[in-house]
Amino acid sequence: MRSKIGLLVVFTILVIVPTLDYVFAQEEPGEYLDRRVVIWNLFFRMMVVAFTIGAVVSGTMIWLIIRFRESNPKAKPTKYEETGEW
Amino acid sequence: MVLELQKPRPIWQIMFSTHHTDIGLLYLITSLAFFFMGGALALAMRIELFLPGPQIIADSMTFNRMFTVHGTTLIFLFILPFASAVGNYFVPIMVRYKDMAYPKLNAIAFWMIPPAGALIWLGFADFTWYAQPPYSVISSPAPAADMWIFGLKILGVSSVLGAINFVVTILKCKHPDLPLSKMPLMAWSFLSSQLIIIVAIPTFAAALLMLLTDRMGVSGFFDPAVGGDPIAYSHLFWFTFHPEVYVLVIPAIGMMYEIIPRFSRKPIFSHSSGVFAFIMLSLVSFASWAHHMYATGMSFTEKTVFMIGTLAAVPASAMHVFNFLATMWGGRIKFATPMMWSIGGIALFFSAGAGGVVNSAMPLDFITHDSYWVVGHFHLFVMGTIAFGSFGYAYYMFPYVTGRMYNEKLGQVHFIFSFVGAVLVFFTQHVLGLFGMPRRVFDYPPFPEWIAMNQIITFGAFLLAIGAAIWLGNFVYSMGKGKPADMEDPFELGGKYYYPYQSKTPHHVGY
Repeated sequence: MRSKIGLLVVFTILVIVPTLDYVFAQEEPGEYLDRRVVIWNLFFRMMVVAFTIGAVVSGTMIWLIIRFRESNPKAKPTKYEETGEW
Repeated sequence: MVLELQKPRPIWQIMFSTHHTDIGLLYLITSLAFFFMGGALALAMRIELFLPGPQIIADSMTFNRMFTVHGTTLIFLFILPFASAVGNYFVPIMVRYKDMAYPKLNAIAFWMIPPAGALIWLGFADFTWYAQPPYSVISSPAPAADMWIFGLKILGVSSVLGAINFVVTILKCKHPDLPLSKMPLMAWSFLSSQLIIIVAIPTFAAALLMLLTDRMGVSGFFDPAVGGDPIAYSHLFWFTFHPEVYVLVIPAIGMMYEIIPRFSRKPIFSHSSGVFAFIMLSLVSFASWAHHMYATGMSFTEKTVFMIGTLAAVPASAMHVFNFLATMWGGRIKFATPMMWSIGGIALFFSAGAGGVVNSAMPLDFITHDSYWVVGHFHLFVMGTIAFGSFGYAYYMFPYVTGRMYNEKLGQVHFIFSFVGAVLVFFTQHVLGLFGMPRRVFDYPPFPEWIAMNQIITFGAFLLAIGAAIWLGNFVYSMGKGKPADMEDPFELGGKYYYPYQSKTPHHVGY
């Protein structure tokens, strides 16, 4: 559990902090910001994150659909089917 | 439940009934009728945009009218009434009560919808579903704009009456032996979404009155010429309609919570996390309205608050997705039509959510603002998630409503056409937005990329339309001539259903 929280904190720092940093930079005098580069850079990084998580979730879903479909040779009745309670 | 079509009754008995399943049937028929009407407008707009230059629509004003009525119809006259249909059928049974708490109020709430729909369609206003001020105040033609305002006003009252009825039914009429912690998640979804309505809608009701008095010239709340502020309208509008997104999506997720365990043949993985996620979504729905308004000159602090408020919806949404996946894990999944729609809906829900996270980052919002990206994003939610969940549930409740089974193969063909169509239309719209095409345009310059993408989108729209036509044919034919359903287990799954025919007072009609 602790490692999961740690991982979450790391991801938060990786994604949120740079984002806030860029936006603050727009309001801080003397700091140069090439908005076009930074914005597209942020876009591509967030798309990488979104697509990576999306690929994991979609992959899991596709695997679930294949593995646990009722026509799969390995499929067997769930324990709830005997009682009809679900 | 009432086998509505197996035991035919005079139509007026259903029309003037106050029984919850009769009202549910009326909601169902009305919402599906408006779905096809709003969808026809969408198809016409896609044909128009197939190539640059005028194609089949006479002018930009007509085009504006079409997308205004398209959006208004599908949100207020299809999705919301469809959720009410499902809620009316199932919520009283889920909480083990004989009917809705206020049956007559229930009927009144329904009967406000047809006149409101008539006002919107006969007026055919042109100022977008957002009623964009100052245009809506200064120069949107009457009486169309005023008819739209009155139509929305009536729909708002109908929604609030319906919401009060659902909340009272769930909280006060629930069987004493059924604790809230054991109440089905679909009933929870209705409780949370209807509470949002009660809190959110009055703000827009006030905004509509202000808009109307502005148009009459007796006030100037949103008219800059007399010192008013159109941005104030944006705040009032989005304070209602960002939560409204959750009002639309939460019941659809609730419907998936009914379908996925049923077809996976095991209970939901975590009931409590589903409840928690519904409550979280309801709360954070009020913390993100101004993310629609980053480009209006808000301060950085305000924008940051709303960015974080928007991101707060991610964990709750993810909890639902993981709950679905964990429920399917270890199950014996039957891929009947309702299950296919639910899984398709989850996949597109995740895609829409990922796009939303990207969008909520302020700098990125500036490059996508008012572009086709936005159109793709919210349609992916509204069509890809909410309508997919609703369509799945329409198939699921079909045997209960009619006593007959629909054609399973045609249902699956409908799903495949719609899924491929939705991906082609809405994913391409995201990319088209990144290529700079603005939304709400009647014509566009002949850039080869824009033309190609618009043609892909129109092709996808035709797939959606073909799917919808198959659906209509399937339902109409099966209602009369479909195979009689086994009402104890229409999907041959086993387990316990919430049988609408177990309604405690079949046809206590109040006509």
